[in-house]
Amino acid sequence: MSTTSVPLLSPELLAQLEQMELVSRKVFRGRMKGERRSKRKGQSVEFADFRPYVAGDDLRFIDWNLYARLEKLFLKMFMEEEDLHVYVLIDASMSMDFGEPSKLRYAKQLAGSLGFVGLCRADRVKIETLGQPLRTPGPVLRGRRNLWRMLDYLDGIEAGETATLSEGVKNFCLRNPGKGIVVLISDLMDKHGYEDALRYLVARQMDAYVIHVLSAEELEPDLKGDLRLVDSEDSDIAEITISVPLLKRYKQTLAAFIDGARSFCMKRGMAYMLAQNQLPVEQLMGNYLRQRGLVR
Amino acid sequence: MNWNSLLSPWLWAPLLAVPPAVIMLYFLKLKRQPLEVPSTYLWLKSIEDLHVNSLWQKLRQSLLLFLQLLILLLAIIALLNPTWQEQKLSGNHLIFLVDNSASMGATDVGPNRLEEAKRQINALIDEMTSDSEAMIISFSDDAQVEQNFTSSRRQLRERLASIQLTNRPTSLAEALQVASGLANPGQAAFDSSDQLVAEPVPAALYIFSDGRFPEVRNFALGNLDPVKYVPIGEPDAANIGIVSFTTQRGEKPGQLQAFARLENYGATEVTVELTLLREGNLIDASQLKVPPGDSAATAFELGEIEAGALELRAATGDKLAIDDVAYASINPPQRSKVLLITPGNEPLQFALATTRAEQLLELTIEPVDYLKAEAYRNQAAAGAFDLVIYDRCVPVNAQDATKPGELPQANTLFVGVLPPGDAWKADAKVDIPQIIDTDRSHPLMNLIEMGNVLIYEGTPLKPPPGSTVLIDSNAGPMFAIGPREGFEDAVLGFEIVGEGHYRTNWWFQQGFPVFAMNLVNYLGSRQVEAVAGSSTPGQPVALRSLVKPDKIAVITPAQKRMEVPRGRQNLYTFHDTQQLGVYRVLEADTETQRFVVNLFDGAESDIRTRPDQPIKIGHTDVAGESGWEVSRRDGWKWLLMLALGVLLFEWYVYNRRVYL
Repeated sequence: MSTTSVPLLSPELLAQLEQMELVSRKVFRGRMKGERRSKRKGQSVEFADFRPYVAGDDLRFIDWNLYARLEKLFLKMFMEEEDLHVYVLIDASMSMDFGEPSKLRYAKQLAGSLGFVGLCRADRVKIETLGQPLRTPGPVLRGRRNLWRMLDYLDGIEAGETATLSEGVKNFCLRNPGKGIVVLISDLMDKHGYEDALRYLVARQMDAYVIHVLSAEELEPDLKGDLRLVDSEDSDIAEITISVPLLKRYKQTLAAFIDGARSFCMKRGMAYMLAQNQLPVEQLMGNYLRQRGLVR
Repeated sequence: MNWNSLLSPWLWAPLLAVPPAVIMLYFLKLKRQPLEVPSTYLWLKSIEDLHVNSLWQKLRQSLLLFLQLLILLLAIIALLNPTWQEQKLSGNHLIFLVDNSASMGATDVGPNRLEEAKRQINALIDEMTSDSEAMIISFSDDAQVEQNFTSSRRQLRERLASIQLTNRPTSLAEALQVASGLANPGQAAFDSSDQLVAEPVPAALYIFSDGRFPEVRNFALGNLDPVKYVPIGEPDAANIGIVSFTTQRGEKPGQLQAFARLENYGATEVTVELTLLREGNLIDASQLKVPPGDSAATAFELGEIEAGALELRAATGDKLAIDDVAYASINPPQRSKVLLITPGNEPLQFALATTRAEQLLELTIEPVDYLKAEAYRNQAAAGAFDLVIYDRCVPVNAQDATKPGELPQANTLFVGVLPPGDAWKADAKVDIPQIIDTDRSHPLMNLIEMGNVLIYEGTPLKPPPGSTVLIDSNAGPMFAIGPREGFEDAVLGFEIVGEGHYRTNWWFQQGFPVFAMNLVNYLGSRQVEAVAGSSTPGQPVALRSLVKPDKIAVITPAQKRMEVPRGRQNLYTFHDTQQLGVYRVLEADTETQRFVVNLFDGAESDIRTRPDQPIKIGHTDVAGESGWEVSRRDGWKWLLMLALGVLLFEWYVYNRRVYL
């Protein structure tokens, strides 16, 4: 399910994405000059603010017009245009390899879309999986010519990583100490809980987005009879007899799970979004993410 | 409540092993299908939540198991065959008397009364314990042992089922004789010391009947104890039946009339539509009002019908159909054959040669010498004539003249002489005997006035026992008639013409030709009646034939052909008269006569049962056990139905995934 003949990102989608721009609620400093205004005042054409002159300031930025009117020296401050660090973190565990299209493919589509938006705006895009080995970090991409590299890399991602959510996020944070936007695409189905993992992200002061991908089968299970459910990750077994009360209970649990994740994220300033694998990526990117303010 | 296991003990073992097997299979959970899911995370959480009330949860989970076990339990109980509400059968030997007479065909209970009786007996058979034996006797006017004492319930049931309804009337006496044969063997043995005397077997007697039979006198029940009488049928079952249907020649020659009489045994007046059919075609119809508890009669003018089968149908719409139809048949007219052997008797010859007489008879006149001829002997022995008149002559013995001659196979009239043999005797001749009495009730003397008849000379007769004196004189009987092996011999003690003189003035009086006609009608009456006789179902019918072949054929109403061989005295006795209807007799494939079988039995038509009135057997009154419903309620049917219902519920639960 991880590879299909259908391209990950269709030309129509790419055309749509070209118009978009990643938005960070916090403007972060990048290392290189990018196309993005930074909180840092710098050398750009866009005026930002004035401040009184202090000794040692660059005389080139003194606003002489103002000095003529007020006879005080003010320094003109300009917005520094910076690049944005965009990290996309994909959960490639076995549990993501379910659904039609599989949650993993859906995650890759999302990651590719977001990455492409970043590439178009000359942002620094880095896509990684949770199980990324520490020593082989994912490629750092910049510029739209790197689209194909990014897609190749995405194609190479296979389900079957065994790292837990918290371990993966922790490793990611260790590898990437900088600030930026991090988009975690996962189904959050981890028996150890997702809370630790999200706390790591919060702790990094990153602008974190959690896209919670669930398949239609998980949201509306179509099961019948007496079943022995085998967990795809740890082969854990749950023996169930499908009944109306059980299905009701499952839905309640699922709703509680989603609500829990949402409120956990909201309390910690993270953006949470539930994505169902049946919802086309175009629609998600065009409407939902725009509404959430991740893209513009 | 009683348990009658349908399975033998060794069959129970595998059956009882089924429930543990089901439980085992359930816990082995062979049926759980493995299914890989992304994560059991949410499922486990859901289950954990449900496990809070885990006992209840377990109950819910295994509802299907419980339902299956319930089905099995019901099936097992059904196989144990619980029964309740049963009567205790008394004694180890039971005799069931089943009435299968015509009235048991009434449909006031069940499919009919016989089936109801069978149902009740079946219930009793079910109640029998394994060491008790039963015997089944069916009876109408004749009893038949359907099944001798046996303990095999299957055999009893089979034989019971084979009992057929008959069209016969009812008589309990013979059935009781048969039943008591085993119970009271001493009655059948000659001496109490007789080695053959069996141990008396006391038996309980169950009589299933509608009670319409004459009471049984002179019968001791003996070891038949207790006797239970189960009335079958409704006490107020109304019925209208044809109790008589006859045809008669009318006053005009050739004109036929049919008479029908219907009796109403109900409590309301009923108007009945009567339809008369001849050979299946409607020829007449009428309405008849029959008052309750009374009878009404009607007549049909048939006109000139030479022959044919008549069927009368009464649209009564009551519960007994068999008495709503009656049959009559008119045989093709045949003239009687009369042989007159006389040296010359002008008045008699003249009286037997009138136009009316010619229609009725075929007269052969022979001289006295004809008695010695071979032709006469053959004809006499073969019964070629219906009536032979010996005028002043007697048959002679051809082999030995000293021995008396043989009488012919026909009715005879001896004029002025005594028949050969010792049966008839006479006193010496007397002159001018005075006629003092005539028996006008006898058909021979019908419409004959003898008041002014003078007899010149007469012989007072001494007729054999059983004879009837028809003309009595002061000297003794002058005319008598006596039976002889199915025929009748009439002897006239005086001559009509003798030695050229008339010996009486009777011949020129009006009474003489009437007498000649009576003679022809009665003694010369055709062996085959113009109007076919009617007999009751089951009674043998004796048929005669003119040609006397070795066998004749009878076509029953069901168009079944039966051969009847010639029996004693040239009689053909036909026994198989169970069906009502017209029977046709074929001689050499030509239909010569018919006879009909009708029920015409008031006791059978009166189908009201009398539960309050005991039946009398000898000196014992056996009260009807009214409302004595011998029925064992079988539980297995209901249990299986319930099990089926549970199965349906289980199916629903399984399919709808609904648990409580």
